[in-house]
Amino acid sequence: MIICDNVNKSYPMGSGRKHVLRGLDMVVTKGQRIGFLGRNGAGKTTLIKLIGGVELPTSGKITRKMSVSWPLGFGGGFQGSLTGYDNARFIARIYGHRYDELKDFVADFSELGSQLKMPVKTYSSGMRARLAFALSLAIEFDCYLVDEVIMVGDHTFFEKCRYELFEKRHDRSMIFASHSADLVRQFCNGAAVIHDGNATMYDDVEEALDRYYNL
Amino acid sequence: MSRLAAGWGIQRRVISALMLRELVTRFGRENIGFLWIMAEPLLFALLVGVLWRFMKGPEEHGVSVIAFVATGYIPLTLFRQTLQRAVRVFSVNGSLLYHRQVQVLDFIFVRFFVELIGAMMAYLFIAVLLITVGEFPVPANLGIFLVGWFYYAWFVLAMALCLAPLSEESDILEKLIPITTYITIPFSGTFTMMSWLTPPAQAVLYYSPFVHAMEMMRDGIFGSRVDAEYSFAVPTTACMVLTLFGLILCRRVRRHLVVE
Repeated sequence: MIICDNVNKSYPMGSGRKHVLRGLDMVVTKGQRIGFLGRNGAGKTTLIKLIGGVELPTSGKITRKMSVSWPLGFGGGFQGSLTGYDNARFIARIYGHRYDELKDFVADFSELGSQLKMPVKTYSSGMRARLAFALSLAIEFDCYLVDEVIMVGDHTFFEKCRYELFEKRHDRSMIFASHSADLVRQFCNGAAVIHDGNATMYDDVEEALDRYYNL
Repeated sequence: MSRLAAGWGIQRRVISALMLRELVTRFGRENIGFLWIMAEPLLFALLVGVLWRFMKGPEEHGVSVIAFVATGYIPLTLFRQTLQRAVRVFSVNGSLLYHRQVQVLDFIFVRFFVELIGAMMAYLFIAVLLITVGEFPVPANLGIFLVGWFYYAWFVLAMALCLAPLSEESDILEKLIPITTYITIPFSGTFTMMSWLTPPAQAVLYYSPFVHAMEMMRDGIFGSRVDAEYSFAVPTTACMVLTLFGLILCRRVRRHLVVE
């Protein structure tokens, strides 16, 4: 379970502050796959970062009672000057996994081959996505935080992720920030519309999409 | 208690992973690799020592000039390098904060440990080398030497703990560091012993924790050949206050840190 209790987040803007989230309350239970819907800049990515513990809320509290992945998006999580293998080794070390097992899984899942011996900064966004998914699936989490922008892999890879994340691990939770009605319909069993610094939860995806289109 | 133990285990894992990563990114795997960490303090101490040896003769105040410079310069490079590398250390490493077990304090500890290991290796190397050619005394009292080294390192770490968060909030600070570390040299005990100075200068330097630490180290190395003067109260108090202050600053900055 993940509990957001009266979460506020603001950033300095000029002489004042920009309030992105205002008193947001939310609960995500095990097995829930929530699609985050919202206009650009509504705070989807900010909320995902807060839930992932990358940034801290200005006030309020976030409690995690299950293991939560790091936010899977383009930025973050990797060191660009290190090779794919070195990044994998680092992640294996900090999560207390055996590198040899992780290495095999990553090489197999990402299909990046000898590219893994090159610095991550030379990777295309699709290749980064492959590496990020491979690593997070190798570690295994109860809840995955996924930003839609990472769904940039080609068709084969997309199918592979769909199978690994949504079929094999169908009992896991997921938070999925998206603009695509199709993907949310396909993958989520609930949705939250993020607007005006707050989130409204819907058990019915269609209802949420309706609300989102009428923002 | 078990949560504390688990947390300690995780932090140990994270710090060692970060250290290996730091060594690979900074020094690569080619040629001597991570042994480069001792290259800078080593070259500084040796070359400046040789330079002084020709400028001032073999001995001053009854101790070898080369040995005296080496004992001063290696801690000084630890101080300068650590501060230099503490600047903006949080935002530079920001992408690692995606992994929740990585704490901002780890970044400071890691860079400090890398410098510390480099300095200690350089010290050992230079001492062995100079002892074999008869330019360096066999240490008179290793115990007090290590205590002095400990205080010096602790004070450097405490300064880094303050500087790292402050540098995130102010851009000017970064530009002031080289000149500040340079101006600090007379207050660091690097080139003088307290007993060589005039009473007014002694009165000022008494409040520098670096000076006390340096006197302890030189007492440990040169023994009765120098008149070392130090107290434990001054460096202990200074280190504790500065560490506490630094920890508070780090905690405060973490709250506002924006990670891309």
